[in-house]
Amino acid sequence: MKQKKIFQFIIAACFIIFNTSAAQNFDDLKEDDNCVSCHSDMEIMPEGFLPDNIHMQKGLSCSGCHGGDPATDDMEISMSEDNGFIGVPDRADIPGMCGKCHSNIEFMRTFRPQIQTDQVSQYFTSMHGIKLKEGDENVAECASCHTAHSILPAKDPRSTIYPVNIPETCNKCHGDQELMSNYNIEATQYKEYSKSVHGIALLENKDAGAPACNDCHGNHGAMPPEITSISHVCGTCHVNNMNLFESSDMAKGFSQLDYHACEQCHGYHNIQEPGDFMIGDNEESVCTDCHFEDDEGMQVAVSIKNILTDFVSVYDTAEAKLHTVQVKGMNDLEIEYLLKEARQKLIESRTAIHSFDPAKVKEISKAGVELTQKAIKDADSEMDEYYTRREGFIFASVALLVFGIAIFLRIRLISKDKG
Amino acid sequence: MNRRKFINGIMGIGGLGTLGAAVYPVLEYLVPPESAEPNVSSLKIGKFSDFEMNSSKIVKFGRIPVIVVKDEKGMMHALAATCTHLDCIVQYRKDAKQIYCACHNGVYDIKGRNLSGPPPKPLEQYAVKIIDDEIIIKSQKS
Repeated sequence: MKQKKIFQFIIAACFIIFNTSAAQNFDDLKEDDNCVSCHSDMEIMPEGFLPDNIHMQKGLSCSGCHGGDPATDDMEISMSEDNGFIGVPDRADIPGMCGKCHSNIEFMRTFRPQIQTDQVSQYFTSMHGIKLKEGDENVAECASCHTAHSILPAKDPRSTIYPVNIPETCNKCHGDQELMSNYNIEATQYKEYSKSVHGIALLENKDAGAPACNDCHGNHGAMPPEITSISHVCGTCHVNNMNLFESSDMAKGFSQLDYHACEQCHGYHNIQEPGDFMIGDNEESVCTDCHFEDDEGMQVAVSIKNILTDFVSVYDTAEAKLHTVQVKGMNDLEIEYLLKEARQKLIESRTAIHSFDPAKVKEISKAGVELTQKAIKDADSEMDEYYTRREGFIFASVALLVFGIAIFLRIRLISKDKG
Repeated sequence: MNRRKFINGIMGIGGLGTLGAAVYPVLEYLVPPESAEPNVSSLKIGKFSDFEMNSSKIVKFGRIPVIVVKDEKGMMHALAATCTHLDCIVQYRKDAKQIYCACHNGVYDIKGRNLSGPPPKPLEQYAVKIIDDEIIIKSQKS
């Protein structure tokens, strides 16, 4: 009953504060809000407090979460239970406390009409939420990821949930070996991820479109993906790879053996940039994990590898010729365009590997090889033109020189005759 | 052969060579080799009446592949066909009436706005004009 009253008070406080002081900034609050004025004067503001955090920006001050009456400077009254003061909330109460506003669509839509309000219900389906409900207060709750006093929207690069910052945020707990040992989880995910193709794209190249932890595990409902859902998780971005794999015979075999679809060949946190070295009968090939020399699967792998090797070989030749054409200052327009199209075919051929059907790979790569050969022909023609021009220049220079000398000699002869 | 004849001979050969060196570039200018214009600012891509509704084609606009779409209302759209994520060439999906990139499932709307997936920004737009049933696309860069 008492708890209910506290929450009713929080909601009322939220409404009052949001409606009356939406335009106030932190400096205004210092004058009007006794929580802010006393705590800042006494220099006991919470650790990591950010004056322009999203709640402060929208006018939600301390009492919005902690209760109490900011209107009076009498500490006994302002921080009394009668005024709904809860102080530092228990971790177990935090999702409910945030949810009082964030699960209320009527309230939240006044700030952003398209905002989601299912975070708390999703959270309690996550491993974090399940464990918290069971009484484990070491697991992450809202403030663990969003912080308590420096909450910023996901689009703000300073935010702990800005895509580029998410791996670091998760790593605060998941990189703690001691904490993770309680759950039989390794603490190496961040280390592995940061060296992966996704990690490099996100953390080094700052490609905010590259997947962070939440893109595969979910946000508020974070869970490890199940075996059956892995290809769907990867398939949200690698859609063609997923479709080809799922309609292949390989998918049936994987299913029978309880293999983890994409993860079986590519790994998970430490996914490296894929390459043609991954297929065939060479040492680095992932095919050799299950297939042996001359079995039917290995023959398919070798056949696909050969198709790709041939394509790459001719493509590399064309790229080298394009470079020469560019260095010589000749017209590279058509060649560059053809190679752009050929590169697309190369990507498609590599994607088609996931059909495990050499005929499909061959069909696409054949078109790519034709484009590449045309580019080579054009490059050769440009280089022929370059040498023709050079030889022409030499010929013209020699002809002019000879003509000049002949004129000189002729003039001298005429002068001699006259003399 | 006396000296005079020898000098006349050399003068003839030199003169012919010089004439050839002067005439050849003129001929090359008058009959240029087949090669595309490197910097185009507008391009005719075919007849509007021949372009099917809800279909697309990719054309070469200088160095840039441009995807031209005729939507189901008959409106023409022209956009750079290179995905803003990792430079793959995008395609038009007739069923979804959207433009998508097969590499990482980036989706754009018909106006090139990035809707979902990794693309960080929209596709560059090109102006489309129909003059005497002829579709002309034009770069909007000055």
